[in-house]
Amino acid sequence: MIDSPLARFSPFLAFARNNLSRARARTILAMAGITIGVVAIASLGMFGATLEQSFLDTTDSAIRTVGVGPGEDAEFQTLGREQVAEVERYAGDGDVYTLSRGRASVTGLQQTTTASLVSVSDPGVFVTAESGQLPPNWRSGVAIGAELADTLGVEPGDSVQVGDENRRVVAVLAESSRASFVQTGDAVVLPPGELGDGASQVLVRADTPQEAFAISDELDSNLNSDRRTRYSVFDAESALQRFNEQISLIRTFLLAVGGVSLLVASVSILNVMLMSTIERKEEIGVLRAVGYHRLDILRLMLYEAALLGVVGSIFGVVISIGLGMLMNAELLSDPFAFSAQALQFTVLGFLFGTGASFVSGLYPAWKAANARPVEALRD
Amino acid sequence: MSVISATDAVKIYESGDKTLRALDGVSVSVEPGEFASVVGPSGSGKSTLLNLLGLLDEPSEGAVTVDGTDLSTLSKRQRTDLRRETVGFIFQSFYLVPTLTARENVAVPGLVSDDRSDLIERADELLTRVGLGDRLDHYPNELSGGQKQRVAIARSLINDPDILLADEPTGNLDQGTGAQVLDVFDEITKEDVAILTVTHDEQVTDFADRTIRLVDGVISDDR
Repeated sequence: MIDSPLARFSPFLAFARNNLSRARARTILAMAGITIGVVAIASLGMFGATLEQSFLDTTDSAIRTVGVGPGEDAEFQTLGREQVAEVERYAGDGDVYTLSRGRASVTGLQQTTTASLVSVSDPGVFVTAESGQLPPNWRSGVAIGAELADTLGVEPGDSVQVGDENRRVVAVLAESSRASFVQTGDAVVLPPGELGDGASQVLVRADTPQEAFAISDELDSNLNSDRRTRYSVFDAESALQRFNEQISLIRTFLLAVGGVSLLVASVSILNVMLMSTIERKEEIGVLRAVGYHRLDILRLMLYEAALLGVVGSIFGVVISIGLGMLMNAELLSDPFAFSAQALQFTVLGFLFGTGASFVSGLYPAWKAANARPVEALRD
Repeated sequence: MSVISATDAVKIYESGDKTLRALDGVSVSVEPGEFASVVGPSGSGKSTLLNLLGLLDEPSEGAVTVDGTDLSTLSKRQRTDLRRETVGFIFQSFYLVPTLTARENVAVPGLVSDDRSDLIERADELLTRVGLGDRLDHYPNELSGGQKQRVAIARSLINDPDILLADEPTGNLDQGTGAQVLDVFDEITKEDVAILTVTHDEQVTDFADRTIRLVDGVISDDR
């Protein structure tokens, strides 16, 4: 112990390490407590951050989109050329698309059902093909949502009867995010312009959510007057706000859970350190007798507590990063997609872990340092 | 000049409404190289005297003087430093650290000093001196009682003390190993280190240069 490199660097650290190795099981259990606390804080925090990231990733396009439809005071049923032009005028830098909807009975290989029909001016922006593909200059054929394709039992290449027309299926679409403005799960997507000139909705897509919210305000104030709501303009701002409030609540709750487990862990460190001072009363008395100052004893005991904390926290951080990778793989489909925020939680966990065990070491260390050498030695 | 001395030392312990005069005016001085033993029935104040002379405790009245310095003039910190430089301790139950080797146990008191360069060499040398040159890397549980006590003696010598204070050093040892420990003591006193031991062991009192008999906190006999 005394001749090791560690001892040359700090003999007290080596001595502390040696003391911890005396009650190995107890030391490991105390460290495990800290590890669990750190894992709780770090991985629960990371979980919150990853959840948020995953939500923002999947809803990203929806949040950047503003929808415009006929309002309650509208003198039109659908948005014709004139209305679309009006929207375009106030849409700033946003890209403008039109969306038309309808309903029809659809017959596939297995059965007939009623499905919604959707046609967007630029399908590639809103839907992606899971199998088959959307032709660049799409004129004929239809694309079918995954669920509907399942119900009908059709694949690309098959034909379906939409209304009274026979159409070839060119693609089955990938599942769309639930937040998306264009829901295609059980819909038939027709080539642009097939549902007539009138659009049931105009979609304006901006580059950032903030831009979208600004466009939304711009549209609302210019298209509608105080008394007449000619257009209904809707964006994801309030939904995003609600989500942010909820996620911060969830995160606070998760951190509180982590904090409680760390509190329990520091109580266990306190217990371990107190037991060890009581057990080593005579030995500490001997150290005092042979010339250790109170500060030396304090330092020795604090090193022991800090070592428990540092080693326990390192394990905690390693485990948390492992768990984080699992979460990332599951929610963000990339194990290494750690956000800066998620990594901050591991640092936070580490600091809390070492800090907590240092603080719980204070009282036992103080108690050990202040035991009078005589009393410590009295049998 | 004496190494350490107590003059009219009184030590009063108070617990609740009872006061106990553990020492009631004791004057002792220990000369360099002297081997003195303190005997007396239990409760006569032997351990209290040892604690006072070991600078572990302060007298309620009277004075303890080390090398001409009155202890009451020193701060706690200075007292600890003086204790480290002047006094070595040996205990009945050895109090070795179980996870440290003989060599490391001997070196422990030196960990707090700034100059640790020859600490290991000094520990080895001291262990060789007490006849344990071949047990340097043994752990306490691999040593016999007598060997453990000799490790403890080597430890008490690491800071070059002027006096060793021993509390029943042969109390846990049989006759034979006790005699070995006494031989080591004899070697030490030849180098002008004084030894003061509290004991019930006649083997020790027979061996001592001087025996101080304490009864009810006063010296009844000193020769």
